[in-house]
Amino acid sequence: MARKLRVWVDQQACVGNAMCEAIAPKVFRLNDNRQSEVVDPAADSEEKILEAAENCPVSAIFVEDAETGEQLFP
Amino acid sequence: MTAVAPIQDDLFTADVIADPYAYYGRLREQDPVHWNEKYDLWVVTRYDDLVWLTRHHELFSSAVFKNDPRPAYPAIDESDLGLYEYVKNYQGDQFIQHDRPEHLEMRRVMHGYFTPKSMEAWRPFVQAAVKELLDAAEEKGSMDVMRDLATPLPVLVIAEMMGVPREDRPYIRQLAEKLLYIGRGEYDRMKPLTEGMRGMIEYVSPLVDRRIVDPGDDFISVLARGEKQGVFTRHEVLVNPSLLLLAGHETTINLLCNGTLSFIRHPDQWALLKQDPAGAAKRATEECLRYDSPVVSIQRIASQDVELRDKVLRKGDRLRWFISSANRDPEAFANPTTFDITRHPNPHVAFGSGTHHCLGATLARVEGQEVFKALAERFPSLQVEADGLDYQPSITFRSLKSLPITWH
Repeated sequence: MARKLRVWVDQQACVGNAMCEAIAPKVFRLNDNRQSEVVDPAADSEEKILEAAENCPVSAIFVEDAETGEQLFP
Repeated sequence: MTAVAPIQDDLFTADVIADPYAYYGRLREQDPVHWNEKYDLWVVTRYDDLVWLTRHHELFSSAVFKNDPRPAYPAIDESDLGLYEYVKNYQGDQFIQHDRPEHLEMRRVMHGYFTPKSMEAWRPFVQAAVKELLDAAEEKGSMDVMRDLATPLPVLVIAEMMGVPREDRPYIRQLAEKLLYIGRGEYDRMKPLTEGMRGMIEYVSPLVDRRIVDPGDDFISVLARGEKQGVFTRHEVLVNPSLLLLAGHETTINLLCNGTLSFIRHPDQWALLKQDPAGAAKRATEECLRYDSPVVSIQRIASQDVELRDKVLRKGDRLRWFISSANRDPEAFANPTTFDITRHPNPHVAFGSGTHHCLGATLARVEGQEVFKALAERFPSLQVEADGLDYQPSITFRSLKSLPITWH
C-alpha cells in the first residue's frame, strides 16, 4: 500500500503555470481563477506528485506524509 | 464634454520612454483597455486584466510572428522588408511563440532544467561571477553598472549553461548586443538584429551536432534531446539558444540596473538593505522587480472575439499588456509608487503569469539577490555620476543605456 499524502497548493504563490496539471492531471486541476487545486492526492503515484511539486516554477506545492506529518516537499 | 486632454498614441516619444509610469498610469485610470490608433493595438494596463489575460492563453495567441500579418512597428527601412521576413521566421520558431499543445510539449523539454531546485544549484557560480566583476570595479573606483556588471553577469551564466568555452564569451556578448535590437524602435534595426540571429545559428550549429551524439548536462543537450524526441525540428533547436541568451540577458540587465538605481534614489531603503543584506535581499529583489520592472509590456494576438470591460477585441487584433502599469495598480498594491523592500506579499507580475510564466524567473531572482546583497555588503553608499540617464527606445524593455556610479 502506498502511503497517504497530504498535498496542497499555496494560492498566494500559484501563478497558474499549470505544469502540475500537465504532469499529474488526476491530482491537480485549475480552478475558475486558473490556479491549481488538489482534487485527489491519491489519484497518482507519490513519484508523480513529487515531480509535479518539483516542477512548480514558484514552489507553490507542498507535500507531506498524511500520517506522520513528515515534509516530503520542499 | 470634459476638458481632458486626448490621449496621444505615440508610445515611442521621449517622455513616454523616459517615464512610462505617468503615461500608462493615466491610461489605467482613464481608459484601461485602450485602442491605440497609431499602432493598431489594444493597450491593457490594469493588474486584474493582465492576470486574467495571461491565464486565458486559449483566447490570446503567443504565436505573434506567425499570426500577425501587419508590418513591423515602429516602421523599418523599406529595403529591410526581406530581413523582417527572416526575423519573423526565426522568432516564430522559438518555443515562447507557440500555443498549446505545441507550447506545452516544447516547454516540458526545457522546464526541468529551470526548476527552482536546479537553478538554486547555480547560486555559487553566480556568487563567484559577481565577486569577480565587483573586484574589478572596486579596483577601478567607479563603474558603469550596465557595462561592467549587469551585461557581463547574465552572459557569463548563460554561456556556462550552453557549454561555451571561456574564450568565446566576448563573441557571444557581441551577438547578444545585436539580438537586443528586437525590442527597440530604431528605423534601421533589422540589419544588426539579423546579423546577431545568423551569427547565433552559425555558432550553435556545431555545438548541436556534437550534443546530438554526445549529450552532456548543458542546455544545448536539453534542446538536442528535444529534437531526438521529435518535439523540435533542427531550426527550432537552433533558434532557442538565442531566446535563452536574449531573454536571460535583456531582462536581467534591466533588473540589475533598474534595481540599483532604485536603491540610489531611495537611501532609506538602501540603509535598510545594508542592515541585513543576506536577510533582506530576497524581498528587496521582488520589490525591484515590481517597482521598475525589467519588461514593460508583452504582445499577443486575439484568437477569437473577446469582451474585456466595455470593449470588444476582435479575432486577429493585436494587444499589449503593460507589466509596468499593472505592477503600480493601486487596486493591487498599497502605496504602489513607494519603493518598499519589506513589501510582503508582493504578487507582482514582472514574470507574467499563467502557462507562459517566465521560464528563467528563478535564475533572474538568484542573480538579483546575489548582486543586491554583494553591493550592499561592499559599498557604503552609491551615487550616480551622470547629469541625466537615458533609456533605450523600447516599449518591451525598461532598459537604461548606461548607469555610471561611484561609491565612498
